[in-house]
Amino acid sequence: MIKTKKYVNIILILAILLLVFVAGCSMVGGGGCSGTAAQGWSGFTTYKQDICFGSIEGKVIAFDPQARTDNKTFPADDEWVYQIKTASPGAACGPMCSPSSSAAGLGIYDTPVVVDDLVYVGSYSGKIYAINALKGVVRWVYPREGLDTVGAIVGNMITDGKSLYFGSSDSKIYSLDAVTGDFNWDFQTSSKIWTGPAIDNGVIYAGNYGGDIYAISADTGKQVWSIKIPSAVSSSITVSGDTMYFGTFDRYLYALDKATGQEKWKIAGDNWFWAQPLAAGGKLYAACLDQKLYALDPATGQQLWQFTADAPIVAPPAISGNNIYTISNKGTLYKLDAASGTLVNTNSVEFTVYSPMYASGDMVYVYARDHNVYAVDTAKSTIVWKFSSYLK
Amino acid sequence: MVDIWNIAILNPMLNGLIALSELCFKNFGLAIIVLTVVVRLILTPLTYRQTQSTKAMQLLQPKLQEIQKKYARDQQKLQQEMMRLYKEAGINPLGCMWPMLIQMPIWIALYQSIMQALAATPENLLLLSQHLYSWDMVGNAIPLNEEFLGLRLSQPDPTLIFAILVGLTMWVQQKMVTPPPADAQQQQMSSMTTLMMPLMFSFFTLSFPSGLALYWVVSNIIGILIQYLVGGGWGYFTLPFLKPKAAAPAPKTGQYVKDLKEGNEKKKG
Repeated sequence: MIKTKKYVNIILILAILLLVFVAGCSMVGGGGCSGTAAQGWSGFTTYKQDICFGSIEGKVIAFDPQARTDNKTFPADDEWVYQIKTASPGAACGPMCSPSSSAAGLGIYDTPVVVDDLVYVGSYSGKIYAINALKGVVRWVYPREGLDTVGAIVGNMITDGKSLYFGSSDSKIYSLDAVTGDFNWDFQTSSKIWTGPAIDNGVIYAGNYGGDIYAISADTGKQVWSIKIPSAVSSSITVSGDTMYFGTFDRYLYALDKATGQEKWKIAGDNWFWAQPLAAGGKLYAACLDQKLYALDPATGQQLWQFTADAPIVAPPAISGNNIYTISNKGTLYKLDAASGTLVNTNSVEFTVYSPMYASGDMVYVYARDHNVYAVDTAKSTIVWKFSSYLK
Repeated sequence: MVDIWNIAILNPMLNGLIALSELCFKNFGLAIIVLTVVVRLILTPLTYRQTQSTKAMQLLQPKLQEIQKKYARDQQKLQQEMMRLYKEAGINPLGCMWPMLIQMPIWIALYQSIMQALAATPENLLLLSQHLYSWDMVGNAIPLNEEFLGLRLSQPDPTLIFAILVGLTMWVQQKMVTPPPADAQQQQMSSMTTLMMPLMFSFFTLSFPSGLALYWVVSNIIGILIQYLVGGGWGYFTLPFLKPKAAAPAPKTGQYVKDLKEGNEKKKG
């Protein structure tokens, strides 16, 4: 009797310890003991009438907004879905990491790009997929079969129409031939790259987590210039005119001369400028995790107006016509007058949003963390439809 | 509740850890070791009390076993006799629990700080922004340099080295405080308990960031050191090449325990 009780006590103590451990763990970002899973935050790109994006489940999905409005069964004509293969355990995983778990590298952070009839997307598992934009069939994958993956791809891929350029967690910037997927060159930097580069006039501009900014020839992969700044780059780079703009982890938004890397100006926010700045209509719009959207004079950094949202802003703003849209990570979508920053109206998808939006006319497409794409008609302040990326 | 936890405990520790990393030549592995040592040193008085209480409880084991045998069929009487024994020995049976309970939130906060700071995934890094102070030292340190001794601290150790180290150090620590069982039945039970936790944590190590495994190993080694110094030797941990140490000094729990210890030793003799 006593011995049985002892066994029960031991099991009870072990269970309590495990419970305390798991409870403590689960408070870390709410994502369990290994932290929040890498789910991705791909944005949208368009090809003919279709909109294409990478989903939280690791799918590349092309949908026709009209077919969704008509509530047609998915996939309708020209719609398709392609499931990215699971990661090799070595890419971002330990010996016990299950390749089927999203933490193993299913998430897609890269917003797809389109050249001719191919959609390109980079995955967290370190592969680039070229997919036929009409049929959803893979044409090529880089690295080739049997070769090691490159590091996890988190920042956006860019293209000049003939080549693809992307940064990777293995600290390199890669260039591939867009048609064949053949390797052109790679450029070794000092630290991992989790933000997207920019291209302008044959020069790639990229920043890494070591606080280094590089200008690299797109043709040869040779360095044009590099500079070191006090903190690491927190946002993807935007180039407009003769200036490049980006945020840093010491809470600054930088403007550098793209020809020399010399600092033109910098302004401080109350948190990181995480989202890629947007240059449009003679203004620079920069969303910040301090809940504000700043409109700035691109030449001087002088603030023209600012708008405060109800939560940190993770997604970059989107512009359409005279309006600029910004969305808080709580899912509140704000339609603002781009010139004055005056609030036109507010809508909500009532779920966390990290992914970049796509705005066309008064329609705004939002991919939320509840796995749904929302089509928001901001003129009528209604959600026209929502489309689940689960696709069960 | 979560906000209070974050503001009062997690955020100071997290920002301190990140700032420490900047001071440790941007070496986060070194920062984990330094912070674990500092926290364990601060908690030494509590650990000391816990070790003393555990030791006193162990010294009572032969007496307790006698009572358990004697009153095996009378639970009420058994409880009364056990309480009487504790009272006479000047021991609070929960005495070794309180220091552990007080330490628990600090360990959870330290664990969370390491996990948050490592930011293994882009989502983790994004969430980290809501916990950081606007110190230049913190801003300049983020994202942390995760390279340490050839490991990427935000990723699990691809070898089995840390899993073995975590399991081994935890097992040694437990063996030092686990008295040798009286009979075969107890031996089986004792083996199970001393093996279960190390195996469980070794298993966790295979899929958790190696920064966390580093913290477990350092924490276990300090635990062994404290146990060695407070307990006066390797305690109940014996290996063929380790000569048995002289008996540990009696804990300052009460004269009864001293007498009891002497009595136990005489019996052994």
